[in-house]
Amino acid sequence: MRRIVWLLALLPVLAALVVAGCGGGGETSSGTGGGGTGTASGEPMKIGASLPLTGDFSEPGVAAQQGYQIWQQQVNDSGGLLGRPVKITIKDDQSDQNAVVTDYNALIQQEKVDLLLGTFSSLLNLPASAVAERNQMLYVEPAGGSPEMFSRGFKYLFFAQQATAEHQADLFSQWAAGLPADQKPKTAAYVAADDPFGGPVADGIKSQLEAAGVQTVYSKVYPPETTNFDAIASAVASKKPDVIAQGSAGLADGVGLDRALIKVGYSPKQLFQASTPSFADQFSKAIGLENTEGIFYAVSYHVDAPTPGNEEFLAAYKAKYNTDPPEDAADAYAAAQVLQAAVEAVGSIDDQEALANWLRDNSVDTILGTLSWDDTGAPEQAFLLAQWQNGDEEIVLPDDAKTSDTIVNPKPPWK
Amino acid sequence: MTQLVQAIILGLLIGGVYALLASGLTLIFGVMDVINVAQGALLILAAFLAWTLWQEAGIDPLIGVLITTPAMFVLGFVMYKLTVQWLSGMPASMSVLLTFALALVIEGAMGLAWSTTYHAATPDYFDESYRLGQFYFPKAQVYGCGVAVGVLALLYVMLDHTWLGRAIRALSENAQSARLVGVNVRGVAALTFAVGVATTGAGGSIISVLYPFLPGSHYQWISRLLGIIVLGGMGSLPGAVVGALALGVAETMTVTYISPRWATAVPYVVIMVVLLARPQGIMGAKLREDVVV
Amino acid sequence: MSVAQSSARRFSPARLGGVIAAKPFGPVIAAAFVFLVLYPVVTDNLYYQNMIILSTLLAIMGSSWNIISGFTGYVSLGQSVFLGIGAYTTALFSLRVFDGASPFWFIPISAVVAGIFAAVVGSVLMRTRGHSFVILTIAFLFVMQIVTLNWSALTNGNHGLTLPLPMWDIAYQDWPFYYSLLGLLVLTVALAWWIRRTKFGMGLIAIREDENKAASVGVSTPVYKVLSFTASAVFIGAAGGIYAYYLTFIDPRGMFDIVVSVMIVLAVLLGGRGTLWGPVLGAFILEPLNEVTNNEIGGGNWRLVIFGSLLALVVLLLPRGIIPSVADLWARLRRRTDAAALVGARFEPPAPVRLPAADPAPPPSGRALLTVEGTEKRFGGLRALDGCSLTVEEGTITALIGPNGSGKTTLFNVVDGTMSADRGEVLFEGERIDKLPPWTRAHRGIGRTFQITRLFREMTVLENVVAPLRSFSWRRLGADAVSGPEAERAHELLAFVGMDRFADMQAKSLSFGQQKLVELAQILMLDPKLIMLDEPAGGINPTLIEHMAEMIRELNRQGKTFLIVEHNMPLVLSLCNPVLVLAAGTCICEGTPDEVQGDRAVLDAYLGEDYLAGQAAGA
Repeated sequence: MRRIVWLLALLPVLAALVVAGCGGGGETSSGTGGGGTGTASGEPMKIGASLPLTGDFSEPGVAAQQGYQIWQQQVNDSGGLLGRPVKITIKDDQSDQNAVVTDYNALIQQEKVDLLLGTFSSLLNLPASAVAERNQMLYVEPAGGSPEMFSRGFKYLFFAQQATAEHQADLFSQWAAGLPADQKPKTAAYVAADDPFGGPVADGIKSQLEAAGVQTVYSKVYPPETTNFDAIASAVASKKPDVIAQGSAGLADGVGLDRALIKVGYSPKQLFQASTPSFADQFSKAIGLENTEGIFYAVSYHVDAPTPGNEEFLAAYKAKYNTDPPEDAADAYAAAQVLQAAVEAVGSIDDQEALANWLRDNSVDTILGTLSWDDTGAPEQAFLLAQWQNGDEEIVLPDDAKTSDTIVNPKPPWK
Repeated sequence: MTQLVQAIILGLLIGGVYALLASGLTLIFGVMDVINVAQGALLILAAFLAWTLWQEAGIDPLIGVLITTPAMFVLGFVMYKLTVQWLSGMPASMSVLLTFALALVIEGAMGLAWSTTYHAATPDYFDESYRLGQFYFPKAQVYGCGVAVGVLALLYVMLDHTWLGRAIRALSENAQSARLVGVNVRGVAALTFAVGVATTGAGGSIISVLYPFLPGSHYQWISRLLGIIVLGGMGSLPGAVVGALALGVAETMTVTYISPRWATAVPYVVIMVVLLARPQGIMGAKLREDVVV
Repeated sequence: MSVAQSSARRFSPARLGGVIAAKPFGPVIAAAFVFLVLYPVVTDNLYYQNMIILSTLLAIMGSSWNIISGFTGYVSLGQSVFLGIGAYTTALFSLRVFDGASPFWFIPISAVVAGIFAAVVGSVLMRTRGHSFVILTIAFLFVMQIVTLNWSALTNGNHGLTLPLPMWDIAYQDWPFYYSLLGLLVLTVALAWWIRRTKFGMGLIAIREDENKAASVGVSTPVYKVLSFTASAVFIGAAGGIYAYYLTFIDPRGMFDIVVSVMIVLAVLLGGRGTLWGPVLGAFILEPLNEVTNNEIGGGNWRLVIFGSLLALVVLLLPRGIIPSVADLWARLRRRTDAAALVGARFEPPAPVRLPAADPAPPPSGRALLTVEGTEKRFGGLRALDGCSLTVEEGTITALIGPNGSGKTTLFNVVDGTMSADRGEVLFEGERIDKLPPWTRAHRGIGRTFQITRLFREMTVLENVVAPLRSFSWRRLGADAVSGPEAERAHELLAFVGMDRFADMQAKSLSFGQQKLVELAQILMLDPKLIMLDEPAGGINPTLIEHMAEMIRELNRQGKTFLIVEHNMPLVLSLCNPVLVLAAGTCICEGTPDEVQGDRAVLDAYLGEDYLAGQAAGA
């Protein structure tokens, strides 16, 4: 009797193994499908990506998704990639590292995508790029500038923005250091979010300004989920710094610091915030439009930039979403452009290593400008320096990209 | 020196709000031995409700307290009847698990209803401060503290001078005896839980003005609240007030003089030190050792 | 076979050794194992391999959690802290110390480090119980997260650590992770199985059932608890090392995550807390469910709602979990009509058996066995003991009587170690014992029963009698829970008290009187010199009272000293000499039963001045 029971138990096991071996269970992808009705034909080229559509990074994640989709639509409308229609599958990693690893494994192994595109934020791209590297597939990421990304000796990784985190504010630092003696700041306070992006941005500014003789009077790091900036603002204000520089990747903490400074009633001569001011309406509504005057930030994209393909991108985005594209959507679009350039130049997708090598040796024109990379996959250009002026976002540096001739200095007091 | 005093001022102002938030938690524990880990999530839920009222109907959140408090009272009552009620007889750890589960459900539901992005109610005064010499008192904090004190006073009056309050106090001393003298234990327990949750209605409205929040913020809040009631003595309302003020000041001091990074550790350190060195907290009562818990 | 009995059979430590082969689970488990082992060889589907890897990881953590929370009853909501500790240990050794060597070498170190943390932190945390312990484990988890975040010089803080890429041929995919985790799971389950069938495991279950009672019968609870916590950490630490390598990137928030801790608890509760395979089953249900919700439903919010609801439902509706519920159902289905359960049988006390003496009884020496001097104990304003001093002579059956509230039970508590006095000394065999913990006093030879019986309810009667420990030794921890010689002795003792027929019944199904007898047998297992009985005749029928008196006399003939608290005067007067009288926390009289009966102070204490005055007036 016992033997029969054992046998009956083992049979399904064997059956399951056989089925597993033969099948490999395809799971229909839950991603968003196809685009236009262009002249692309043949078997679709599958591109896989994971994005934080929910969770801490959901705002930029959704924007990036839009960027990828606009690109897909445009490519398919104009003949596809290597003549084949492109189909991007996007999975939601919920801003969670575990999920992002699972997602990319699924994309590579189960859905057997031909090409990959990256996710948003250094935190997520760090493990995801490792999956890609292990599988020897090209990995172009739209956002993830932490220096950590590029110190691992990866060969397949490329970052589709102008510079890594510690260089994001270079133009600001150079400008401030180069002011005439009566305007040049003497003291500075640095406030950074404790994440792979925020810290390096603030450190980058600090090292350049200290080298130029600006004294550091306050330098602290806060947990990224901090919402109560009262004590920090109070401490910063008590030191009366000329410059306040904040490194952060999000919206809430930048707004939090600004509001707290307003409550204290302290307005520095120069205020630089790494990303928050780029959130357009959300930012200006949060602190009041009149308070945005003079705030600096670094940005990778500007809607009026005369970069190749920008007009078409802008038009397509506006037509679909009725508003100006946020920076993150543009970054995603640019990443897809980089991928496209490599594929078209090499002419095939079979040799991922060849694609990577081509990118290392060449530069690509994108809506962010021309991008090129060093051996580690880190880009070698500089971010744009932007400033809120008269309720508008303007590019003030570099000269060949600027949309405004003036730089507001010093920042006017809070209203 | 100025900075020190200013830091203390900020700490006390926020401590006053913390006191209101913690009062509900300590009340529930005192009466039914349940640590309601979902209190943080309920707080955020109330904040979302207040925010929605402000966003859609233009009602200032501090006025909105009058709406959110009864709403949360009803929710608390329903929660008790559906879930917490069935916990009696189970070991203490099960109550922590159940309320944790409820917290997760509430967090997920909030994310689905309002999305996982930061929200904040921003009436005109939220950026302004009162000035007294070289010190500043942010208006939102002052108003919030005022509302908190008001609600706490009401709570105190209820506990000391109404029949329900007496029944609650009796129940927290000894459930068996309370039953013997005619207290409807089930009913009073449900009402107590509802009252405890109702305090989050007021508290949530206040914090919707003070700081941005998203569904996941509840972890920060519940850890603070736990730290407060452990410090003050679990089950003691005056203890909750003392603990709240102490924690508010401790947090502000840590941010100012040590680093904002370590400020998040303050509640946990308080919990560990107090539970290990003096488990009854500042004002709690010690149990007889031979009573089999 | 009744449900109660078959359940007792299934979950008793001795029988769990057979669970692997027990129907209906045995063949299913073996089949599943074969499937898991062969799966990566037969297919190259990385997606499912990944799912199995994560399920195995959760199963390892669940099985480990089961040791501290299922067996020992200390629920930890921060167990994932050891995952993080293990992950960081391996990562740091691989990157900083040995510059890129394969992380697999450092897995054992991760296990050791996790164990050390558990031992050190556990010895502090486990001084608390109940919700305090749960909250402390959560606090510990978050403190470790924050320390790891802030100590960037060591851990690279929020930047995280990137481990070396796998060094083997890509054709082997994830096999090293897969098989190492599977092997680790086997080890973890084997550890749980081994613990369950040893004396160590029995001690843990005793602690879970009633920690203070366990202490009073000689279980050194602090040592057991710390060992249990350590055992529940080592394999999670090792798994953490493997997991770190698998992810290639670790950061403090991901590695010290409270949601993972909650998943562990849910998995084990779902599968069946305290069982051997419950955690594994729960993990292999939960993790795929997790994947499916991620992919199909998508969105972290639904995941929270689903898992939160599932946890709430399990806590409220299925607290025992799947395996015990299924086992119950199976037993119910397979129940054969049998002799009626013994519980309802009329109790026929057999003729008292002569207890084979362990040692020849020495003649009563007349020296004081127990001395209590000047003991004071206050509870707030109430003085339960107020300068109480008394002596119990060796070889006597001494009674301790007194009106309600006189402090008799408090005195017992002070003597056996359940409480400590505010002032005063307690001497046993001439040595001070008032600073010693309860188990040491039990080892020295003090045994005590309780007014309301305290047995380990989920254990069988036999296991209850075998649980007390006469001494602590590291070697004996690993011995079989119910070994031959011990079982024999237990049967003898049970026969002596007349409960041998009930040896395999669960303690909770006994009547009050039966429980009293078993409790007596329990403490006799300790071979105590002093036996303290707290109202042995309370709540039992007269025949049984007589039987008890006979047993007490028999034991006394063999050299055991008794101190009995009793209200039943006829019993006291016929059985005991001397009699001590306690009133208002102090000993007011001592003497033979006749002397005490006539003592004025005693009458005063019991009956009050008015009565005596009335008597005097009326006489």
